[in-house]
Amino acid sequence: MNQSNLETGKVGEEIAKDYLKRKGYKIIEQNYKTKYAEIDLIVRKGNELVFVEVRTKKGEDFGTPEETIDKRKLRKLWGNARAYTAWKKWQRPYRVDAVCVVLRYDNTIERLNHYENIGLA
Amino acid sequence: MLIKVPSVANLGLESIKVDVEVNLANRGLPGFEIVGLPDKAVDESKERVRAAISSSGIDFPAKKITVNLAPADIPKEGSLYDLPIAIGILSSILQFTVPDKSLFFGELSLDGSLRHTKGALLMALFAREAGFQDLYVPKDSANEAGAIKGVKVFPVENLFQLASHFLKRKNIEPAVYQENSDNLPAPAEFDMKEILGQEQAKRAMEIAAAGGHNIIMVGSPGSGKTMLARALPGILPPLNEKESLEVTKIYSAAGSIPPGGSLITYRQFRAPHHTASPVGLIGGGTRPHPGEVSLAHRGVLFLDEFNEFPRQVMEAMRQPLEDGYLTISRSKEIVRYPADFMLVASANPCPCGYLNHPKKNCVCTPRQVRKYQKRISGPILDRIDLHITVQPVDATEFSDNQKNSELLESSETIRQRVILARKRQEERFEGESIQSNAQMKNSHIKKYCKLAKEVEQLLRQASMKFQLSARSYMKMIKVARTIADLEGAPEITVSHMAEVLQYRPKIYESI
Repeated sequence: MNQSNLETGKVGEEIAKDYLKRKGYKIIEQNYKTKYAEIDLIVRKGNELVFVEVRTKKGEDFGTPEETIDKRKLRKLWGNARAYTAWKKWQRPYRVDAVCVVLRYDNTIERLNHYENIGLA
Repeated sequence: MLIKVPSVANLGLESIKVDVEVNLANRGLPGFEIVGLPDKAVDESKERVRAAISSSGIDFPAKKITVNLAPADIPKEGSLYDLPIAIGILSSILQFTVPDKSLFFGELSLDGSLRHTKGALLMALFAREAGFQDLYVPKDSANEAGAIKGVKVFPVENLFQLASHFLKRKNIEPAVYQENSDNLPAPAEFDMKEILGQEQAKRAMEIAAAGGHNIIMVGSPGSGKTMLARALPGILPPLNEKESLEVTKIYSAAGSIPPGGSLITYRQFRAPHHTASPVGLIGGGTRPHPGEVSLAHRGVLFLDEFNEFPRQVMEAMRQPLEDGYLTISRSKEIVRYPADFMLVASANPCPCGYLNHPKKNCVCTPRQVRKYQKRISGPILDRIDLHITVQPVDATEFSDNQKNSELLESSETIRQRVILARKRQEERFEGESIQSNAQMKNSHIKKYCKLAKEVEQLLRQASMKFQLSARSYMKMIKVARTIADLEGAPEITVSHMAEVLQYRPKIYESI
């Protein structure tokens, strides 16, 4: 992958982290890695655990960040969440969210959307 | 917000109502999903709708869009759901209401315009039966739908125009049905007067055309079999109103009606090649599609080089030849297509083609000849009313006759006689389910074709002598009735019957 794309992703993740913090979420893990996958952010609010996938794009000329989350990715996200909750013996509710960030070319935020509980349907 | 846009699904020639339910949810990841057993073409409509809405200058909503095609258990196919889906989305974002009692149908182009879509006539018929008043269809399909009286057809050029119509900015005027130029008689490739000699064959063609009888021509290469068949459309009577609708329905289902087309009013002439696949000829496929036999409904199915057709195809033709329709059964659906056609077949008498030729010698062994002739199954031959041998025309006679070409009867003269004979049949069968002599069942024959004693005696003698089957016996009476109709005679006479006997099944006699 292109180095600058990696950077964009990093910037986006930081933005998302700040945003969620301000919304009252507690950050549990960042870039949690398992043998199989990586979970961008794991946060918590009340008794609910939230797995967050962060998608960042620079400008929307080549498609929106939302478009890049397809069924396959959703299945993967839910699989990771299930694996994590099983590993940590988490018995309370959890969900999967997506935070889509669009940046301008000077890395300032053009828009940020937080989609809660994105299902498999 | 949930919006329901009514549309249809065409299964064979039947239509059922399909509700296109469009839901735009604010929650959830933006996306576009179609459920309700869509096939590939329906699923791809997502991309067409997205592009068409953007091209119409409207922002595509960043919401979670779910489209359900209800009832969800019937497979949906084709591109006709583009318009209802797009209208569902637009009505949600532009805040107009989708009118009741309307049906929507049509394929979108990426630029937002609507394309001609197959099945408009079927949908219009369904709309009339089910009580829908307004139809919104692509402009190019509007004339086809407009052939059905009692429904208002709105020709839609593009998505933007239809949105303006619903927002009451600029109305679309309902289409006015126009018959168009393809209602002229089908241009035959040859006129009967161009065919020199072959008077007997021409006479047989006239009888076949007048009564809708099946005919087989056997003759050596170059004797004019194909030419005779190609001249046949020129002497066929036009379709009546009921037949015209039946034929147009099939063509609409097959998607063979050109943009802007209207009702088909002339008889179709179908000449599939013998390498055509069985499914192409008979109809079928996983979603049963009409085949050549159905496209030849109320018209002519010309099978040149009849022996070359695969056995399987010939045998499959038995049901339509007998019943006038074809039932295609698949695990998921059963479709019935009408296939009441006039079979015109041509064949060579033997592999080299010169058996019984007056000048040339046949080089085939009897065994080869038998094998060749056996390719046409007996049951099929038995279902053919007229059997004629086409004798080659002498080349010297040919040049003499060339000068006389103008004296020969033209197709139009013959056609007038045929039309008259058809009219007599239609009058006779008024109130019955049939229209022509060829369609008569035994009960009709008993009722309408009382034979005088001497006529019956002649037929009985002949059937003994030529070993005719019971079916052939009945067929002879039908053909005799047609000959009488051509003459305008109220009863079948001995001379009519004597002529029929010339056309008896005789292909196997030549060995």
